[in-house]
Amino acid sequence: MTMKKRNLLLSIIAVIVLFGVANFVQLEMDAYIRRIVNLCMIYAIIGLSMNITNGFVGQFALGQAGFMAVGAYVVGIFTVPVAMRPGVFYATPMNPAIINIYMPLGVALIVGGLLAALIAFVIGTPVLRLRGDYLAIATLGFSEIIRIVITNASSITNGALGIKNIPPLNDVRIIFLATLITFILITLLINSSYGRAFKAIREDEIAAEAMGIDLFYHKNLAFMISAFFAGIGGGLYGALLGTVDPKNFLFTLTYNFLLIIVLGGMGSITGSMLGAVIVTAGLEYLRVFDEPLELFGMAIPLFRPGFRMVMFSVLLMFCVLFWRKGIMGTEEFTWDKFVNFCKHPLAYFTKKGAHAE
Amino acid sequence: MRVKKFFAAMLVSAVALTLLAGCGGSGAKSGGADAKTVKVGVFLPLTGDNAAGGELELRGIKLANKLYPEINGKKIELVVADNKSDKAEAANVAARLIEKDKVKVILGSYGSSLAMAAGNIVKEAKVPAIGTSCTNPQVTLNNDYYFRACFIDPFQGTVMANYAFKKGAKKVAIVQEVSNDYAVGLAKFFKDAFEKLGGQVIEVANYQTGDKDFTAILTNIKAKNPDIIFAPGNFTESALLIKQARQLGIKAQFMGGDTWETQEFIDVGGKDVEGIAFSSAFDRERATTAEAKKFMEAYKKEYKGEPSAFNALGYDAYMIAYDAMKRGGTDDSTKIRDAIAATKGLELVTGKTEFDKNGDPLKGAVIKTVKDGKFKYIDFVDVKH
Repeated sequence: MTMKKRNLLLSIIAVIVLFGVANFVQLEMDAYIRRIVNLCMIYAIIGLSMNITNGFVGQFALGQAGFMAVGAYVVGIFTVPVAMRPGVFYATPMNPAIINIYMPLGVALIVGGLLAALIAFVIGTPVLRLRGDYLAIATLGFSEIIRIVITNASSITNGALGIKNIPPLNDVRIIFLATLITFILITLLINSSYGRAFKAIREDEIAAEAMGIDLFYHKNLAFMISAFFAGIGGGLYGALLGTVDPKNFLFTLTYNFLLIIVLGGMGSITGSMLGAVIVTAGLEYLRVFDEPLELFGMAIPLFRPGFRMVMFSVLLMFCVLFWRKGIMGTEEFTWDKFVNFCKHPLAYFTKKGAHAE
Repeated sequence: MRVKKFFAAMLVSAVALTLLAGCGGSGAKSGGADAKTVKVGVFLPLTGDNAAGGELELRGIKLANKLYPEINGKKIELVVADNKSDKAEAANVAARLIEKDKVKVILGSYGSSLAMAAGNIVKEAKVPAIGTSCTNPQVTLNNDYYFRACFIDPFQGTVMANYAFKKGAKKVAIVQEVSNDYAVGLAKFFKDAFEKLGGQVIEVANYQTGDKDFTAILTNIKAKNPDIIFAPGNFTESALLIKQARQLGIKAQFMGGDTWETQEFIDVGGKDVEGIAFSSAFDRERATTAEAKKFMEAYKKEYKGEPSAFNALGYDAYMIAYDAMKRGGTDDSTKIRDAIAATKGLELVTGKTEFDKNGDPLKGAVIKTVKDGKFKYIDFVDVKH
C-alpha cells in the first residue's frame, strides 16, 4: 500500500469516526454540550476563512464580523416563515419586494456566502492596494460600515430591533458536514497552485510578482473566498442562535477569530480548527471560575463572575509566550507525522530540534 | 529546548490545576443539590457592556432571595450565571443552567437581545424564564415559556404619547438612537399613539450610539419649533443631546424612557435636564404596596442606598417565580410555567402583576422628572385591566 493510499484511507476512517461522534453527540448528549460542539465547529469555519487572508496570503484583514453579518442577515431575512414576518417587523413593515421570498436554510447559506463574496469584491478592489496596518484599519472600517448599513436599512433588516424566530438549527450532524466541506475545500485550495501562489505572496510580495504571480488577482480572490466562508459561518451562527441583531457583529467579534487563528497558528488549517475548539470549549470550561467556590468552608472572594476571563487571559499569555507561532505554527497535522509519532513516540521528545506541536 | 519543555510542563500543571478546581467546584455543587433545595437560575450580564444594569438586578434578586429563602420547606438556591452581554454566550449559559445545573426556572436578562438568544432554548427545554428588564415585544412573542417583570416598549411609548398630548403638545419631534432596539421601539409606538390622538410628528431624526455632537439634528429641529421633543436613548447620549439643545436655545420639553433613570444622566446633564419627563417602572414615593415597603426597608439595610427601578424589577422577577412555585410546586417546570401564566393580582414592588396571553405583565407606569438634581415622581398611568 502506498503512503498516499494509506493516508487517504486513514482520512476516510477519521471522517467516519468523527461523524459517528457527531451523531452520538446529537442523540445522546444534552443541549448544552450540543450547543458548545456546534459553536466550536462554526467558529472553526470562520477561523478557517480568516486564516485564508491572514495566514496564507499574509494580508492583515479584520473584516470578518462584517462578512459574518451579511451571511447571518441573509439567513435571518429569508428563512423566517412568511407568516411570522409581520410580528418580527413590527416597527417598520418589511419591504414588499422581499416579504414573500422564502428560502430554505441551505439556499440562504449559499446566497449569504455569495453576497458576502460580492461585497468583498467591491470592498477589496480599492482596499487591497493597502498593506499591513492600513489594510487592517480599512477592512475594520468597512466591517463597521456593513453593520451600520444593516442598522439603518430597517425595512429589510429590521434595524436595531434585530430578527427573531429564525428556525433554529441545532443539529450537530448538519453543522459537522458544513465544517467538513469547508475544511476539504480550503485544504484543496491551499494545496493547489492558487494556494502556492498565496503562500508566495505571504513570503515576499516582490519576489512573487517577479515570478509572474498576479498579486492583485490573488489577493482579491483570497479575500472573496474568505468572505464567502465567513458568510456561511455567519449564517450558521445566526441559525444556531435563532436571532440576529446588528450589535452581534461589532468589530470586537473579529478579534475572537483573530485570537483563534493566532492561537492555532497563522497559516495552518488544522491549527485553526484546534484553536477554535480550545478557545470556545476552553472559555466554557473555565466557567467554574465564575462560580462561588468554597474551600474548607471558606468562600474564596476571587471566584466571582468575570474571573474566568482573567484566567483565560493568563493562559493565553503563556501560550503566546511559549508558542510564538501559535500551537501549530505553519505546520499541519499529517498522517505521516502521526504514524511516525505512533511508531517512535519517544523519539519525538528526545530528538533535538523536533517541533513542538 | 530545555526551557521550552520546562514551560510546557508548567502549562500542563496549570491546566491540571484548573481541572482540579473544576472538580472541586462541581463536587461542592452536587453535594449541595438534593431534595431539600430547588435551583433558580439567574441569567444576567455581569461583565461586558450591560454589566451595570445586570449588577443592579442581581442585587434585587439576591435581596428577594434573602427575604424569601425557602419554599414548601425547600431552600431556594440561586445559580448565578454571567452572559457577558454577548448573544452566543447568553445562549450557552442558558443551556448550561438548564442542562448542567438543572434549574427549574430562570430569571433574566437585562437587555432584550440577550433574552431573545435564550428564547429558543427555554422553549425547547420547557423551562420557564422571567425577564427582568427586557422590554422588546419580540422576547415573549411566540414563546410560551418567556415572561417578564417589566412593561414593554409599546406600552411605555403609548404612555408617554398620552402624557405629552395631555400636556397640550400638538407638534412633536422625535430624536431616536437608531442603533438601540429599545429606543427604536419606543419611538415607533410613541409616534403611532400620538398621531392617533390627533397630534402631529413633524420630524424623526436618528443618531448612533456613541455620538457626541447633535448640533445638526437640533438646528433642524429648532427651525420647526416643536412643543415637545421625544428622545428615547442611552442616558449619556440623551443628556448630551439635551444639554446641546438648551445651548442652542431650544425651549421645548424633552421626554424619554426609563433608561434615563440613572445618576449619570443627572451628572452629565446637570441643570439642563431639569424639567424633563420620562416613564419608569417604579418610584419610591409612589410605591404603596406592602411588598414595596418591605423591599425598600430591606434594601436600605442591605446596600445602604436608595433602590432603583432595576433593583425593583430583579426583586419582582424573583417574587413572580416564588409565587408561582408556591402554587405550582417546585418539581415540574411545566407546572411552574402554568402557574406563572395564571398569576392573578400579585402585589409586587412595581405594582399589581398579571400576565396577558403573550406573557407580558399588565402593569402601570410612573412618570418622573428631574428637580433640584433629584428624580421626582409626577404622575402614574395605570393600565386598563
